[in-house]
Amino acid sequence: MASRRGRIRFNVGGKIFETTATTLANAGRHSMLGALLDDSWNPRQPAEGEAAEAEYFIDRNPACFAVLLDLLRTGELHVPPNMPEKLLNREALFYGLLDQVRAARWGPFDGNRLQLVDSVSGRAPGDGTAIRAGPDGGCCVAHGSMVHVYDWMLEEHRPISLDYQQVNDVGYIDAESIVISARERLGKGDGGMGVFSSSTGELRHRFRVSHYDQVKSFTAGALSLGSSDYKIFASCKGRCNEYGIGVWDQITGQQVDFFYEPPGCCLGDADKLQWLDGDKCLMVATLFPRTDNCFIGLLDFRDKSVIWSWSDAGTSVSLSLDEKRVLHAIAIEDSRSICVVNQYDDLGFIDLRSNAGGVRWSSRSKLTNRKAPNEESCYPKLATHDGQLFSSMNDGISVFCGPERVLTSTLRRSYGGSICDFSIGGDRLFALHSEENVFDVWETPPSPII
Amino acid sequence: MSAQKKRNFKIEAFKHRVELDPNYAERTWKVLEHAIHEIYNHNASGLSFEELYRNAYNMVLHKYGEKLYTGLVNTMTGHLKEIARSIEAAQGDFFLEELNVKWGDHNKALQMIRDILMYMDRTFVHSSHKTPVHELGLNIWRDNIIHSSKIQTRLLDMLLDLIHRERTGEVINRGLMRNITKMLMDLGSSVYQEDFEKPFLEVSASFYSVESQQLIECCDCGEYLRKAERRLSEEIERVSHYLDVKSEVKITSVVEGEMIANHMQRLVHMENSGLVSMLVDDKYEDLSRMYNLFRRVPNGLSTIKDVMNSHLRETGKQLVSDPEKLKDPVDFVQNLLNEKDKYDKIISKAFNNDKTFQNALNSSFEYFINLNNRSPEFISLYVDDKLRKGLKGVSEEDVEVVLDKVMMLFRYLQEKDVFEKYYKQHLAKRLLSGKSVSDDTERSMIVKLKTECGYQFTSKLEGMFTDMKTSVDTMQGFYASQYSEIGDGPTLAVQVLTTGSWPTQPNAPCNLPAEIHVICEKFRTYYLGTHTGRRLTWQTNMGTADIKATFGMGQKHELNVSTYQMCILMLFNSVDRLTYGEIEQATEIPPSDLKRCLQSLACVKGKNVLRKEPMSKDIAEDDAFYFNDKFTSKFIKVKIGTVAAQKESEPEKQETRQRVEEDRKPQIEAAIVRIMKSRRVLDHNTIVTEVTSQLQSRFLPNPVVIKKRIESLIEREFLERDKADRKLYRYLA
Repeated sequence: MASRRGRIRFNVGGKIFETTATTLANAGRHSMLGALLDDSWNPRQPAEGEAAEAEYFIDRNPACFAVLLDLLRTGELHVPPNMPEKLLNREALFYGLLDQVRAARWGPFDGNRLQLVDSVSGRAPGDGTAIRAGPDGGCCVAHGSMVHVYDWMLEEHRPISLDYQQVNDVGYIDAESIVISARERLGKGDGGMGVFSSSTGELRHRFRVSHYDQVKSFTAGALSLGSSDYKIFASCKGRCNEYGIGVWDQITGQQVDFFYEPPGCCLGDADKLQWLDGDKCLMVATLFPRTDNCFIGLLDFRDKSVIWSWSDAGTSVSLSLDEKRVLHAIAIEDSRSICVVNQYDDLGFIDLRSNAGGVRWSSRSKLTNRKAPNEESCYPKLATHDGQLFSSMNDGISVFCGPERVLTSTLRRSYGGSICDFSIGGDRLFALHSEENVFDVWETPPSPII
Repeated sequence: MSAQKKRNFKIEAFKHRVELDPNYAERTWKVLEHAIHEIYNHNASGLSFEELYRNAYNMVLHKYGEKLYTGLVNTMTGHLKEIARSIEAAQGDFFLEELNVKWGDHNKALQMIRDILMYMDRTFVHSSHKTPVHELGLNIWRDNIIHSSKIQTRLLDMLLDLIHRERTGEVINRGLMRNITKMLMDLGSSVYQEDFEKPFLEVSASFYSVESQQLIECCDCGEYLRKAERRLSEEIERVSHYLDVKSEVKITSVVEGEMIANHMQRLVHMENSGLVSMLVDDKYEDLSRMYNLFRRVPNGLSTIKDVMNSHLRETGKQLVSDPEKLKDPVDFVQNLLNEKDKYDKIISKAFNNDKTFQNALNSSFEYFINLNNRSPEFISLYVDDKLRKGLKGVSEEDVEVVLDKVMMLFRYLQEKDVFEKYYKQHLAKRLLSGKSVSDDTERSMIVKLKTECGYQFTSKLEGMFTDMKTSVDTMQGFYASQYSEIGDGPTLAVQVLTTGSWPTQPNAPCNLPAEIHVICEKFRTYYLGTHTGRRLTWQTNMGTADIKATFGMGQKHELNVSTYQMCILMLFNSVDRLTYGEIEQATEIPPSDLKRCLQSLACVKGKNVLRKEPMSKDIAEDDAFYFNDKFTSKFIKVKIGTVAAQKESEPEKQETRQRVEEDRKPQIEAAIVRIMKSRRVLDHNTIVTEVTSQLQSRFLPNPVVIKKRIESLIEREFLERDKADRKLYRYLA
């Protein structure tokens, strides 16, 4: 009889399953199965003989239950090919096992082991503005004045519509909140920045900028979310030359700081902001400025100083078409450098340790041969993750590793046109294509058990 | 085309949407509501979890989340209102029991309700930003039970009453208390603080205010502190048993404030039992208790410290100024050392070796040791005493301990140069008379002084040791070279002392007996022959001699006497009677020394090798002395000491002081010149402070003296006064 102890029998939708209490304990007390077996719902301990007869009936899909029970037994998720993912997710949500499913589905991000798991196409025409990954595996895509939000199951939520205001940038704060920066339209007093609910698409909070205690309308450009201290940074252009970088608190929504643009540094027009957690400073890159000069700087908000800066002012006097022009930049904190890319997809590096250094270009011209002559190309983009450097060019993304930045992988898919933006977050990589409204989802498969 | 017309039927679209049973939501909710009722009525065994979960799931799935949520709020509120009534109805002590039981029930029910509504909690509550079920249950309990007007004050009163009863010695149900306070904490820290902790602290404050008032009237200080300590540990224990950990700091600060801080002055100054009497009686336990309790309150330790300080200064002042105690320098220093030991022990045993207390102790000692300007002399005498005889049979480590203690006192001295003077004198006496117990100990003392005050302080003392050593060599050389010539004459031992290293007084040498004079001259020729360009002066006042004497009955004795005494006794080789005047004339010994010598030869019982006429204690100018035929002693060797004041007499003291002052002058001048050389221009006050700080390690210069030295330097054109500002001095290179 002892062998029977701890065994539990289920009848799910008519199919009998037998498992052990230990296996079910993996579900946790705060799951449907945990509650079902809890003493408070089983006041009378069944006698030994009865135990074998007692079974729990659950009026659900048995096939999905089998998959989830297997997940609890082994920690691995194996979905039969004929089972739609949505179905499985729905069942997992019923049992309160969605977190386990999410954890089992894909592993920690590794640029060299990525697999294409999905391509999601939307209704909008091409030419997306931006795609941003969220920390939980969801993402949001900006098209013109619309932002589409997808949760980690890649279910599309109600789109956020901004009444034809041009969206400049978006940020995926968490599963519930999306921050959007938009262009101000003359005379309308709109634009600026707001947090929207991703489930209802409604505006939850609007970020204000006040100069000398007066609230002003403004155009918000690039966004950056501070990683540890719940701050939001945005480049701001006010009506009366109030250019600079604003800082808000994600929790309270209040403006906490404003970095006014010092002469010679274009901050209000910045195209790329990146918060550097180690140095406690913000990288600002203005690459398509009103003036002719690109500018990259590191801002320290504590004493309002530009602690490092670079500009192509000297080099681009004779700006010809052949001139190498910096089109995107990303700071790599580990190697104390900023990586930039030009119109020929050459990577370049600027040393953060010296203030007046130039760009050290590393040519990779042989890779750029692939460019089809008539194909509409997009500006290249850069990203880093865990020491790996990602660079988009045309319809592929190259992965570079190690201190020498060796090309180790290329991510490419056959249709959709060139990649206009991509983003890494929540252990996923999202790549948005420009010609068709489709984005790819790349994941690292879970590590094999053996 | 025609065929189509013929058939002429079409599939009609449904005119209405397929709708759910309109009563579906209501019916499902009824099931769930019923289940909630059953759960509250302890009737859950008949319920099927799976069915309830599925129902709740379906309601959320069909967008009835809002209905489900408000239904839950209403049902739960209804139940808790009912529970509130039953708690209100509980009589007396059963009130808390009832509350506790119901709280347990509610928690259990809440857990089950949350299980049923888990899906709603995960999805609807999350996306519509509502309060999760568990928190909701706690909030409703708080609003309907704890904050119900009939319960809130009653609960508080009962809790406070129980604590009061426990404080007065009753045994209460701590388990129940713990459950209730735990409930308040679970409801949120603000509930615990507002509904319990704040009033608890207020009541405690008034309780301890009254109790401390009563205690202080009837207890002595030690007893009061014992009680306060017990109260404090009781409160800490109470917190650990049934209050929030965070309350500990708050309640202890209340007890500290009421029982200690408010009565601090009174406790410390309590007649016959306060701090002073604890210190006097070495009550380590009480002192330690006081320290530990007072440490908890602001200014507590400084209060203890101040009182200890003033007491210490008072007793120290008595110690150094009481004429009775000044009689014996050794006792005087020993008393100081004992006092220091006593307080060191108190600080280490009771005051946790607190640095600030040690500093206070040091400053007090420094204060009162320097009140008596004979302290340097006495300390040197103490060392002298120890190094002469006191340390015989004592192990080396113990010697070190004693010396270290003396060094401690030495550190307190401001006039270290005076000490040096005396030490030199005493060391010279020890060395010359060969009375030093151990060379190692002497040297270790010198090393200590050197580490304390630097090379220059001890260089002369070290010179004295060198002289002693070279003298031994010289004497060996002398006898080796002159052996044949000397023959059987008296043996001479000469110590050649470098002038300046030794505290010699220019003293006219006395007339030596002829036998001695001859050999002295031989030595002089030998010494000056080996060391050209030197001058030898005989310091007859510092020597000793061993002479053999035969007395009337034929018994022979070896007499150990001073050089002066030897000269006197040798006179009696030829005659038996001499008058004072004759002796003085023959020897030319200075009168004061002569009197002392004669006194020790004629008036000390058992050592009276001379007889004086008339018999009296004191020596008069017209006394006559006889060789004492009848002298007997059971020792072969008789040591005849000189009646010498160990301690300096008043005029000697004055003289030493004067010499010290004289020695200070060049030091002060050197300091002034050093300072001015580097600073070029300086005003008077700055010079005085700088000079004082430079010389502090040796002595505390008097500003008046400094001024005089400056004037002297101006006269000698080292400095000049500034022409514009008379207060400024200028260095002249």
